[in-house]
Amino acid sequence: MTGGTRDDARRVPSVVGMTALVAQHLRKTYRSRRRGEPPVVAVDDVSLSVGPGEVAGVLGRNGAGKSTTVELLAGARGPDSGRVRVLGLDPRADRGRVRGVLGVQLQGAYLHGALTVRELVRLYRSFYPRGVDPDQLVERVGLGTSRDVRFEKLSGGQQQRVSVALALVGAPRAVILDELTTGLDPEARRSMWSLVEDLRADGVTVLLVSHLMEEVERLCDHVTILDAGRVVARGTTAELVDRAGLRPAVTLRTDDPTAADLLARLPAVEHVDAAGPRLAVTGVAAGPDDPRRGDLLHEVGAALAAAGVVATETQLRRPTLDDAFLALTGSPLEAS
Amino acid sequence: MTTARPTSRDDLPRVLELPEPGAPPRTVRPGAGAWLALTVAEARMVARDTAGLVVPLGMPLLVLVMNGLSPGLDQVVPGTGGRTALDVYVLPLTLTMVVATVGVINMPSFLAYYRRTGILKRLGVTPASPAMVLGAQAFVGVAQILLGIALALGVAFVWLGASPPTDPWVAAGVLGLAIAAMYAVGMLVAAVAPTPGSAVAIGLVAFFALGALGGLFGPRENLPDALAALGGWLPFGAAIDALGAAWAGVAVPGSALVGLGATTVVAGGAAAAWFRWE
Repeated sequence: MTGGTRDDARRVPSVVGMTALVAQHLRKTYRSRRRGEPPVVAVDDVSLSVGPGEVAGVLGRNGAGKSTTVELLAGARGPDSGRVRVLGLDPRADRGRVRGVLGVQLQGAYLHGALTVRELVRLYRSFYPRGVDPDQLVERVGLGTSRDVRFEKLSGGQQQRVSVALALVGAPRAVILDELTTGLDPEARRSMWSLVEDLRADGVTVLLVSHLMEEVERLCDHVTILDAGRVVARGTTAELVDRAGLRPAVTLRTDDPTAADLLARLPAVEHVDAAGPRLAVTGVAAGPDDPRRGDLLHEVGAALAAAGVVATETQLRRPTLDDAFLALTGSPLEAS
Repeated sequence: MTTARPTSRDDLPRVLELPEPGAPPRTVRPGAGAWLALTVAEARMVARDTAGLVVPLGMPLLVLVMNGLSPGLDQVVPGTGGRTALDVYVLPLTLTMVVATVGVINMPSFLAYYRRTGILKRLGVTPASPAMVLGAQAFVGVAQILLGIALALGVAFVWLGASPPTDPWVAAGVLGLAIAAMYAVGMLVAAVAPTPGSAVAIGLVAFFALGALGGLFGPRENLPDALAALGGWLPFGAAIDALGAAWAGVAVPGSALVGLGATTVVAGGAAAAWFRWE
């Protein structure tokens, strides 16, 4: 033990300034259910990294490889090739060190069905040398009134909340949450979101797997989009929208026939579509550093006001991550 | 029950788990508190599974009482120091049933259910390991076996006039060996069963097959010679023979000891080789 400790200290790198969660070129195949068929590639060359204290999202349809990526990151499975690091450590080789600081919510992982909510949270709390108070945590995830109900009697949404509680009960430094709010009603969903905000405030690194665009847009510093087992895009919401070549648009209504020409000459405007009194003004696809990038709505409004044109029903339509997802993967997220 | 201290997130230092700046996380191993909590959890699972309780506690008792009421069992068997047929045949059968129902039917169904539903995988990403569940289940199984045996012996001593074994230590040793052998068979069942339902089915088939060859449905002498001999080597018949010898105070047959030991090694080894955690 004593001899090993010094060796361990030399072998294990410092975690200062280290990326909290790293996946490098992960590849994982599963044997096909049917005999003789080639293996199914679940993820192929998936890389992502999450800095300390960041909240990162992984977005994709069912079967895109999200849960496999999570299980590889959590060390629940080993990759065929590629590398995983959690706080600088290999979650499989350095299991003992990683398990105490990484909280994991696995999708579809069931729990001891005949145990009550409180019994389960206390059981999992006992695995960690330190952590949060089980009863307070049960209250925090909104299960205070169901704390003495057996897990098997809970609704799907309540079971989901128990599994979130278990991911947090050891006061982890990094948390992987697979489908945080699936099956939750809007109120419970918002309560989970505020839980993630609290984690962020505590400096906990969070990897959030989701197929809910609103959730990712709201909570995550950056997003990795998976499609068919591969990373198709990575960046902040704004970056992804830009990369997808999406432009903001302003629609308005005016009876002034000169308005269309006037607006089309603005540097921030790419083109104007006129249909009678209705104009659709499409902005330029400007990158974050492009000087032409600005607030399209403001520029349009200022130009119209300067020319004395009266416009009504003016609306900005900003492209969303939804639009970006559609543009990047070729089909909408919700179709899953 | 748990090692939980009344701490909240607010009570913890802002930088968690860092003994010194930049130091890597410490290795976390589940302590005695985790073992205790997991064992209590498994005990609750077993105690709340009513159907799973009836079989090892009720069925052997039923066999004991129905046999105990039949005439002729109070006759002393010659050369046994005054032990009756109830003592040297029915009680060993009853105790063997308790051990076999827990080891071969109940435990594999729990383990298959834990594996199928992802409970083992979930435990694998905590500092606890899924192997701890195996340990806790085995421990709780022993407690259940001891409860079933206490119940059966209580009824036998109080109402049926049974006598304690001539060699209690031999009986205890044989019982331990029988538990090891039945657990090994149960682990093998858990290893080969793809689903919880099939674990119950395979467990029942294994139980009745071992039982039929071992004397569960009538004296083994009624079987064809080859099958009767085989039944004496397999764990059910071997356990009955060995416990009967302990009650009678005669030497435990070597075939029974070899049979139980070999079952433990072979079935246990195969189970270890084939068991999948997910």
